[in-house]
Amino acid sequence: MIKETMTAEERVRAAIELRPVDRVPVIPLSPIYFACRQKGMSMAEMARDLDRARQANVEVCLEMGKYDGMAYPGLSNAFAPRLSAIIAMPTFLRPGAEIADDLPLQYAERQILGVEDYRLIADMGWRRYAEKHYQKFSPYTPEQIVAWGQRNTDITRKDVDAFKSIGVTCYLGPSIFSPLMFFSIFRTLVQFTLDLHRHPDLVQAAMDAIVDDFIQDGIDAAKEVGLPWIMLVLERGGIFYYPLRIFERFEWPYLKKMAETWIANGFVPLLHFDQDWTDNMPYLKDLPRGKCIVDLDSCTDIFKAKEQLRNHLCIMGDVRATMLSLGTPEEVEEYCRKLIDTVGKDNGFILSSGCMVPLDAKYENVRAMVNTAKTYYPHRS
Amino acid sequence: MGHLAEAIADLKEDEVRQLVQRHIADGADPSLLLAECRLGMDIVGQRYRAKEYFLSELIISGQIFKDATKIVEPLLLAQNAPQRSIGVVLGTVKGDIHDLGKDIVGTLLKGSGFEVHDLGVDVPPQKFVDKLVETQAPILALSGLITPAFDSMKQTVEALRDAGLRDNVKVIIGGGIVTRKAMEYVGADAFSDDAAEGVEICRELAGRVI
Repeated sequence: MIKETMTAEERVRAAIELRPVDRVPVIPLSPIYFACRQKGMSMAEMARDLDRARQANVEVCLEMGKYDGMAYPGLSNAFAPRLSAIIAMPTFLRPGAEIADDLPLQYAERQILGVEDYRLIADMGWRRYAEKHYQKFSPYTPEQIVAWGQRNTDITRKDVDAFKSIGVTCYLGPSIFSPLMFFSIFRTLVQFTLDLHRHPDLVQAAMDAIVDDFIQDGIDAAKEVGLPWIMLVLERGGIFYYPLRIFERFEWPYLKKMAETWIANGFVPLLHFDQDWTDNMPYLKDLPRGKCIVDLDSCTDIFKAKEQLRNHLCIMGDVRATMLSLGTPEEVEEYCRKLIDTVGKDNGFILSSGCMVPLDAKYENVRAMVNTAKTYYPHRS
Repeated sequence: MGHLAEAIADLKEDEVRQLVQRHIADGADPSLLLAECRLGMDIVGQRYRAKEYFLSELIISGQIFKDATKIVEPLLLAQNAPQRSIGVVLGTVKGDIHDLGKDIVGTLLKGSGFEVHDLGVDVPPQKFVDKLVETQAPILALSGLITPAFDSMKQTVEALRDAGLRDNVKVIIGGGIVTRKAMEYVGADAFSDDAAEGVEICRELAGRVI
């Protein structure tokens, strides 16, 4: 073990602010599925018995010698208790309900918005649109939707308290879509891509109309649960899907505005990039230095990202889900060492899973990731 | 390259529709029209590989191709034109309900001249086996986005083996999570996390099995 000279909180803060650390901090993303599987719970049991699931998550964290923090301490996303929480209601199929008992929650993409909704949203903004058209997203009454949002927030508070009781700080509760992600999800990728081709001005007008409400939803949700990070969910706007001209017009201006506003309000944006964004990384140099986290899932070239963002933004990632599920502890350790050697050089790195820790990750593989962070740091001065 | 292929390659949606309708009105051979549509899709694929095009252009061209073939295919059927397409049985494996990657690959495969038998999502192993027996398709393309899909893919390959089909069917796995290690675990012949590359691999596999 490395002799530690910082608390976990100091270490995480230093990593974000690009200052020297005693070792690289390790924060697996959303490990609750994995933890529950390890404790013999099916995913359906996890969804039904949140107290037991929370206990499993805490126990595995302790067994691992404690993570340096929790990014998503539980199963629930935190929302501001208002109608716009409907955004998360239609999207997931639940184990033991819509899908088999021992499968993870899965996202079911279906077309909820029509082309005509761009105009409505452009005219009304997101909040007013949600108040009038919430039934497109959910069969529940407004009171039930607000109560559901409140319930998720209450659950997150309990998760935060449970980890606090073992001395582990929680950082992340709310997650907010970028406008591009929102429309891509609720129009579907194919229809949205055709919309960009056929009606680009209409799409942009709708994006302009929702971005401020989305920013405020993130702030209110984070305040509600008292957590300092806000995840900006980004998957569909990067180079894997679209040329840079699309990114420059339909993703980057909104991403920048959201991140900058959250920073100005004292929050740390965690920019969660699923899929390949390698060619988009240089744009992030225009964001304020040392104020947000670039979270990569292993599809973006993290080593190139480090070259582009060195001494500017903290990078988090990116042990691939497949490696955690099918790999060996030796492979995980070797990869984590490589990450610490290269991405961890010159500060600004948090070791993490590439996206969520998969439910079927091997115990010894997650342990190897955590242990490598705690035992290997060649850059200490 | 004819105007039709060029219009598809350049993603000119309205022009493609007008050209197809005009050619049909002029009595053009529908099988030649289909061949030209496929040529346009080939060019899209080339531009994608040259990094001039992205997944978005594959999606747009796929839609244009679909719309064009919707007009042409009934005429082909009416002519009783022989179909010599190579079959691909495609589906997202049991326990996984993601269809995005599968649908894109399916459209591109059709654009490349394959006959696609899409079984949808959450498909149990036996259903794949039954479809392979029914269609005699030489390629099985399995899709998945979550790590539990690996076990379902493995079970599907084992079901193929049990049914005595494994030697005659090439198996490719696809999805954001697949790696060489996953391919080896599953017992597949090929893998890809890129839709256009997946189609290229299917072409190679088709060459090996026919």
